[in-house]
Amino acid sequence: MEIREYARPKSMDQAMHLICEEHGTAIGGSAWLRTSTKTVMLGVDLCDLGLEYIREFQDHIEIGAMTTYRELETSPLLDSRFGKIFRTTVSHIVGVQLRNIITVGGTVAGRYGFSDLNTTLCAIGARVVFYPNVEKDLSSFIEKGYASPFLIEKIILPSSARAAYQQMRISESDFPIINTAVAWTGTVWRIAVGSRPAATRICRNAMKILGDSANPSDEQIEAAAAETSKETQFGSDIRASANYRQKILPVLVKRALLEVRG
Amino acid sequence: MIDNNDPIKPMDSETLKATQKFNVVAHDIAKIDGEGLVLGRPAFADDLAPANALYVKLVRSPHAFARITSIDPSEALALPGVACVLTWKDCPRVPITRAGQGNPEPSPHDRFILDEYVRYVGDEVAVVAAEDEVTAEKAAMLVKVQYEVLQPILDFEKALDNPIIIHPEPEIHEMFPIGFEPKRNIAAAYNMEIGNVEQELANSPVYVETTVHTQAQQHVALESHTAFSYIDIHGRLVIVTSTQNPWHTRRLLALALQMPIRQIRIIKPRIGGGFGGKQHIHIEPYVAMVTMKTGRSARLALTRREVFEATFTRHEMRVKVRLGANSDGKLNAIDMQVLSNTGAYGEHALTVFMVAGSKTLPLYNKVNAVRFGGHVVYTNKVSAGAFRGYGAIQGLTGLESAMDELAHKIGIDPLELRRKNMIHEGETSDVFRIMGEGTEGVAMTIESCKLEECIARGKELIGWDPNRLVWDVAPGKVRAMGMAIAMQGSGLPLIDMGSARIEFQDGGFFKLHIGATDLGTGSDTILAQIAAEELGVDVENIIVYSSDTDNTPFDVGAYASSTTYVSGSAVIKAARSLKKKLIEAVAQKFEVDPAFVLFDNKTFKTLNGGKSLSLYDFSFDTLYHDGERMKTLEATESFTGAKSPPPYLAGFVEIELDKETGKVEVVHYVSVADVGTPINPRLATIQIEGAALQGIGLALYEDVRYSERGHMLSHNLLTYAIPSREDIGKITVELVDSYEPSGPFGAKSAGEIGIDAPPAAIGNAIRNAIGVRLTEYPFTPERVLMAIDRAKAEGAN
Amino acid sequence: MTITLYINGNEKILDCQPGDMLTEVLRKAGYVEVKKGCDTANCGACTVLIEDKPILSCSYLAVRADGKRITTIQGVAEEAKEFARFLTAEGADQCGFCAPGFALTVLSMKRELRNPSEAEIRHYLSGNLCRCSGYEGQIRAIKKYLEAVHD
Repeated sequence: MEIREYARPKSMDQAMHLICEEHGTAIGGSAWLRTSTKTVMLGVDLCDLGLEYIREFQDHIEIGAMTTYRELETSPLLDSRFGKIFRTTVSHIVGVQLRNIITVGGTVAGRYGFSDLNTTLCAIGARVVFYPNVEKDLSSFIEKGYASPFLIEKIILPSSARAAYQQMRISESDFPIINTAVAWTGTVWRIAVGSRPAATRICRNAMKILGDSANPSDEQIEAAAAETSKETQFGSDIRASANYRQKILPVLVKRALLEVRG
Repeated sequence: MIDNNDPIKPMDSETLKATQKFNVVAHDIAKIDGEGLVLGRPAFADDLAPANALYVKLVRSPHAFARITSIDPSEALALPGVACVLTWKDCPRVPITRAGQGNPEPSPHDRFILDEYVRYVGDEVAVVAAEDEVTAEKAAMLVKVQYEVLQPILDFEKALDNPIIIHPEPEIHEMFPIGFEPKRNIAAAYNMEIGNVEQELANSPVYVETTVHTQAQQHVALESHTAFSYIDIHGRLVIVTSTQNPWHTRRLLALALQMPIRQIRIIKPRIGGGFGGKQHIHIEPYVAMVTMKTGRSARLALTRREVFEATFTRHEMRVKVRLGANSDGKLNAIDMQVLSNTGAYGEHALTVFMVAGSKTLPLYNKVNAVRFGGHVVYTNKVSAGAFRGYGAIQGLTGLESAMDELAHKIGIDPLELRRKNMIHEGETSDVFRIMGEGTEGVAMTIESCKLEECIARGKELIGWDPNRLVWDVAPGKVRAMGMAIAMQGSGLPLIDMGSARIEFQDGGFFKLHIGATDLGTGSDTILAQIAAEELGVDVENIIVYSSDTDNTPFDVGAYASSTTYVSGSAVIKAARSLKKKLIEAVAQKFEVDPAFVLFDNKTFKTLNGGKSLSLYDFSFDTLYHDGERMKTLEATESFTGAKSPPPYLAGFVEIELDKETGKVEVVHYVSVADVGTPINPRLATIQIEGAALQGIGLALYEDVRYSERGHMLSHNLLTYAIPSREDIGKITVELVDSYEPSGPFGAKSAGEIGIDAPPAAIGNAIRNAIGVRLTEYPFTPERVLMAIDRAKAEGAN
Repeated sequence: MTITLYINGNEKILDCQPGDMLTEVLRKAGYVEVKKGCDTANCGACTVLIEDKPILSCSYLAVRADGKRITTIQGVAEEAKEFARFLTAEGADQCGFCAPGFALTVLSMKRELRNPSEAEIRHYLSGNLCRCSGYEGQIRAIKKYLEAVHD
């Protein structure tokens, strides 16, 4: 990637100005720069904005946009509130050295189809905060986008959830063929599916089948799992056909649901 | 005491076991370059390129098949810092082969350095050189090329006799008959029959027919293809390149550039892996052309994408095996028919194809009839070339899959079926005599073959129970086992030649100069061990310099598993000759007959102990003190194998298969190998472990994929996944006791054998797991699930 | 533009373009132990430590590293030599191209993890590809190394 000019703002306002008024391109996690052939007129590096944090509040948790995958997977706070799900979600991604670079904000902003993290965040019910102070449901943002240019400040999670993540890959460090995450938030079930190969979506019909009990029956679980395939669109690519994705999604969803329900 | 006048004498196994007491060989000596490599000291071509070398970039074809109608370099040349743009008009019109093989090459001379035609997406169109890499990249994009786009052939099943002709050029030719018929898109063809196969098959109570389709595979050596060139003080062209075959590169480059061979020097630095991917001329012509044109040094390191798209892959093959047997499992006949896809050019076309038969069929030498045949066809895909296993992996996948089908049909333990039919020590196979690597072979009696021991030990290590080859582990999850046996070769008999020179130095150490190319395998170390063992000194006293066409003696290079057997034998001969000279020189100083002089690692003594002289002191005498008798004591010897004794291997796998998703995981893979004496057991083990994982990669993970228009879709590590550390449970490798009388200290080879068995073993395990055989490699989860569904549907009917 | 990097304890003032990745800048400055294996952030051969964290230098802007402490394998040479002894004893140092990045990650793992199991070792190192060795020899070497240094 060619970057003509480089700026490293010290405040969110400054960053916003560079991105909106000066047509700068945000540089968060820099992993994609290697494969990009774009020319960027003004690169705006977000590394000095103090956006690397995982903070607990009374009724929610905030994850700064520049928080790395490595920080997510090793966070005792996230472990205690969400079980192992952040670890299982991101641990397949290449290696420690890459996970020390890629960021939550970069993944969310990119709305990448192959993302594992977006699927889990959507299942948990994450919300994304655009600077300054525009809060949106993450799954809506992923499905519909947001007026650009934008600058993601943080992700907001509920205080806790019981969640599980399942995926299929040909080899462990490859992109996923398909992934899914389910969560019991305490009041509702949420099911997200991603890498279809398209980006994450919520399986609303399937969620309805599960109802609002923490203990859906085996039949409900079977039915919900089957429904996810019916209500989701799949595509074919170099890794797998739409048909295969459609076939195994219910298997993975069922496993995830059983993992959460017990 | 070995008689210095005799050639290496064969001994029977029992004598060998009794006399085997090695001081250096068969020991785990650490690689001599280990620390330097871990610390990343400058050693690879890209680390060593001169500071002011021009950066070379290649303009490549975006079309699978096209004729270049015009190239306009003017905009590129106008860019400041661009030194030159070279096209096919700047090259002599001499067809060569890029295959790193001996002369006359068994591959067709069907390639011009740059041609008017481009035959695959990525084929080289023009060479750009500039002061820095960014400018070179920009300039490459500014070269304006017009093409007449032609219809490509992308399906190798449709290439034969296709009206589209990929190689219409009149100048291309074979070096000797290899079945080259370019007008039919045939790069090579061969067939042979011993006995009457059809009759034997017809008369056999049990008949099995299995066809497998193995895919192209990428080497993914971690260092991409890299080279730099310059003109030295004598006006000669010097190229430092990541190559497995310096002499072949020099010779073929001289032909391509129409230069005398003596004007070129090729140096191999450390290279970051080869696996056959660098057993070709690759980018040397381009840096050479730039250097010749500008007088400046030139450097090129291919991007990973270029390595994928525009170097070489494994040959894709369809292998059809037909077996006829008696109901007790005795094999009567084997028929193997192969269609091989050599891509746009015919490098290694005939030889890889023939190895599919020549290094597999002899495993079952008790048949009454055996037949092998087929074609190697051109397609408009990247050229296929040498890749570890070299046809044996593809052929074996077909053969060992068919053998398991036979075992199922008869209801016999797959191990028993192998045991009943496989080759043993003291036996031979007519296939050795008939099939070589350029049509004719070399007859050979097997003097070492421990397949029985390999199978017995492998069975133990994996926990093989023929009555329990599949079992449930959880709802919807099963585990299963499969196995396959394999053989390979040790060099090309009467074709591969290696030489070694050893010179005695002041300080009492020895320079070992070898042409043999160390790809990272540790051959420098292994050859030093052989020299040390034969000379009777510690390995620290051997300083190795290798693979420089100016400074080391000839060697064909590292391929065909030849280095230990061929180059190692040359080293023993040279060491033996030199030892004789040392003893003679010391005998002269002692004024006794050489028969009365002994050497014990540090000191020469007369038999009665009356006189003694340390090696150290003698080294100063012979170089500084002894007046008229001063001389450099050195010896140069060469070796060519009269045979190619096969290493043997039994591979066993335990898989876990998820029947709901089709995902297959390797829980445990066991390789038990007979490599003769392992000169360095640890290094031999690592070769087999690494090779096993590459074979598992072919079986389960790796695939070379193209779009409908011939663009490679799997063109980087994001889209082509080699096995990572977490993809397999465990690989266990053991070496059985063996000794090959014709080999250096009993050694055969270890470089390729490990890759051959996994695809068949895994295919056999999956067959045991789900009752259906998959034949399209790789066995992705989707393919496995489809097979399960198919089996269910068929079962329901 | 000009950046200041603290490489293996030495202050280095280097010229670079804003879009240059750290790998190329380091190699040009003579740190050829940092290797390029893949172009897509997959292989780990370019691993360096930035402020003691293992990072892919191929995916890290050189300008972002301005003012930071960078360690290549040469910066921890004594430790690396000790690990190299275990690696070479297993014969697992094959072509050596993955070795500097791999060794640096091993040393980083030694600091981060206490008594890792084999699964944890494999997991920590999953970003360091090796095509030569099949990984088993590397794992053997690491286990023996960790045992030796923690005695």
